[in-house]
Amino acid sequence: MAQSTQPIKDPLTGAETTGHVWDDTLQEFNNPLPRWWLYAFYGTIIFSIGYWILYPAWPFASSFTKGFNTVTYQTAEGQEKTTHWSMRALFAKDMQEGEFAVKQRQYLEKVAATPYDQIAQDPDMSAFVRSYGASVFNDNCAACHQAGGKGVLGKYPSLADNDWLWGGTADAVQHTITYGRNGFMPAFKETFNEEQLTQVSNYVLSLSGLPADADAAAKGERIFNTETGGCYYCHTKVGKGLQSQGAANLTDKVWTIATIDANAKPEDNLTKIKAVISNGVQRQMPVFGQRLNETEIKVLTNYVQQLSAQ
Amino acid sequence: MAHSAVVSSEQYNYDIVKKFAIAAIVWGIAGMTAGVYIASELAWPFLNFDLAQITFGRLRPVHTSGVIFGFGGNALFATSYYIVQRTCQARLIGGKFWPEFTFWGWNLALAVGGIGYLFGITQGREYAEPEWYVDLAITVVWVVYFILYTGTLMRRNQPHIYVANWFFMSFILATALLHIFNNLAMPISLTSVHSYSLFSGVQDAMTQWWYGHNAVGFFLTAAFLGMMYYFVPKQAGRPVYSYRLSIVHFWALSFMYMWVGTHHLHWTAIPDWTSTLAATFSILLLMPSWGGMINGIMTLSGAWDKLRTDPIMMFLITSLSFYGMSTFEGPMMSLKSVNALSHYTDWTVGHVHSGALGWVAMVSIGSFYHMIPRIWNTTLYSTKLVYNHFFLATIGVILYITSMWVAGIGQGLMLRAFDQYGNLAFSFIETVSFMHVPYIFRAIGGMFFVAGMLVMAYNIYMTIARARQEVPATTTATPVQA
Repeated sequence: MAQSTQPIKDPLTGAETTGHVWDDTLQEFNNPLPRWWLYAFYGTIIFSIGYWILYPAWPFASSFTKGFNTVTYQTAEGQEKTTHWSMRALFAKDMQEGEFAVKQRQYLEKVAATPYDQIAQDPDMSAFVRSYGASVFNDNCAACHQAGGKGVLGKYPSLADNDWLWGGTADAVQHTITYGRNGFMPAFKETFNEEQLTQVSNYVLSLSGLPADADAAAKGERIFNTETGGCYYCHTKVGKGLQSQGAANLTDKVWTIATIDANAKPEDNLTKIKAVISNGVQRQMPVFGQRLNETEIKVLTNYVQQLSAQ
Repeated sequence: MAHSAVVSSEQYNYDIVKKFAIAAIVWGIAGMTAGVYIASELAWPFLNFDLAQITFGRLRPVHTSGVIFGFGGNALFATSYYIVQRTCQARLIGGKFWPEFTFWGWNLALAVGGIGYLFGITQGREYAEPEWYVDLAITVVWVVYFILYTGTLMRRNQPHIYVANWFFMSFILATALLHIFNNLAMPISLTSVHSYSLFSGVQDAMTQWWYGHNAVGFFLTAAFLGMMYYFVPKQAGRPVYSYRLSIVHFWALSFMYMWVGTHHLHWTAIPDWTSTLAATFSILLLMPSWGGMINGIMTLSGAWDKLRTDPIMMFLITSLSFYGMSTFEGPMMSLKSVNALSHYTDWTVGHVHSGALGWVAMVSIGSFYHMIPRIWNTTLYSTKLVYNHFFLATIGVILYITSMWVAGIGQGLMLRAFDQYGNLAFSFIETVSFMHVPYIFRAIGGMFFVAGMLVMAYNIYMTIARARQEVPATTTATPVQA
């Protein structure tokens, strides 16, 4: 281990080594720190000191250096307060005075104070509702009801048509969003035998004018509208459905559970209807009254109504 | 030289270096493949196949632990044991058993931890996911590692300690400190795999990110700088550019890193002053970081032609360039105003990978191509394949980081855009659908990088296989010194 202790001058660069050698060949030049590197390092130190002078920075005892920067904002009690730079104060100030926050707040206050029918007649407020409602809808509703409210057949009703299970008035929609809904139709597989099931299903098909076995449908109607089936409790004797129960209107050709197609083979449609009656329906819309505030729900109600009107 | 009489493969414990080197390559391929898979899940969600064990949340810590501690950790064990022996001209202490203990202990702990993640057993602390029983095992392994390393340093046949060893020492000490304090926890019971952290609320978050960023600082930076300080001058055949720079940037780096972790928590419930200190120390860290880059790249002065002719040098110098780039990007992202845009977006993910793939992986790969033929006392099977690997890796990193800049900066800008009514212009889901195309390119970038690793595995396999064939012929002759 004869390691050199004498600095060696490098013929290529003229730099001297420190004289240390490791592992036969490892050496180090004794070059000075690059000037630009050193000055840039000093530069970052000056930048940091400037930062510390302006902003809260160094802790001492149970407090910290506050810095010269200040933020003036309104407290919750409405008093003007000046404090050292702070994230909370800055946020409060931005929500109070920021260009966009002010604009949004003015619109929201206007919407909160205006009845539904007047919002719909005001193009500017309607446009605001579309913009604000879209982000509330996409963040809270679209996961189930899908973008644009087109829904998922069999699971989440479409909001883009004009067919409403629980009512489409502003009051009804607002109620649905605020308190949620539990859609329930019992399963009839224990109640009906195969023949009865076929008869009721034929009647349901006939209600919306689809091809059905007339004989069976007539027998089905008796089951539907008597205590045997008791379907009329919720769907009413004319099949239009009680919105108070979230019962579907069976006469309007809008299907929310089974994919019924007027052009499909009648027996296919029949099989699908039978499955729905056999298995029943369970659907739940969650409560949003605890997550969204009143104005947000109002905007959302209006937005959903606009979706269905398109 | 006097020691030439002893063959280095007998003078030094190369067996343990070989084990760790092979483990690093295996973990690298496994961990990076897991990364490509989760990146693909983000682009094509059907890949979840409704299996909880392979969803993004479960598989992501398998990827991060696999590449950081599996690939990176094994590579550091391998190179540090190699470097400390060669620069001290002393055999690793601990006989045959204790170095083997660190090998099996480390790798078993990683495997047990990783399998746990798939079944939801995690502390939920980023990069410190293993539960208490794995943490205890890691602590024991680490203490043994520390003893073996310092013990070997103390037995050195050299008056001075080479710079690479300073960095490895600081890495071993800081990692011990970080690992122990961040993982202080109380098991629910001695038979439960779960535990509660000793810290709560803001203190918990700050402890975690003190750990998290220093895992980057000491595990992924200081230690790999140690690797760089040995293999760059060795491969270049040139002295390190500046001894003074190495001293100054070593101490500055070690001192500054400890302060900056809180920049991961800007604009949250932390005290404002902690945010300021984290931001300013991140800025102060810029030049100390660049010190390592300058010292590495300038070591090539007088041998610049090697950048054209030597693919191993291309790996090493490209890694230093990515190191310089990401240590510039990091301090910028630590400024509160920039962070307000970048935080919670894929810009962060891109930044991490320019460091992890561009710096950590490429410096390790370059070092391995230098070291592996030497410990097996042979030459590399194919230099052409090293070129191929270099281009696959570089294209992969560039695809990765540019797609993440697009995804991250794009999402950041979308989330802060307002419309004429003062409303947010985009909902979250719209930013997600915007990121679909960048996510595809990111996954492709990852595939390039894994393809490069497979090329490496083949090249190394052939190198070792050839070395084994050569052994019988040379047993009687005096082996050539590596």
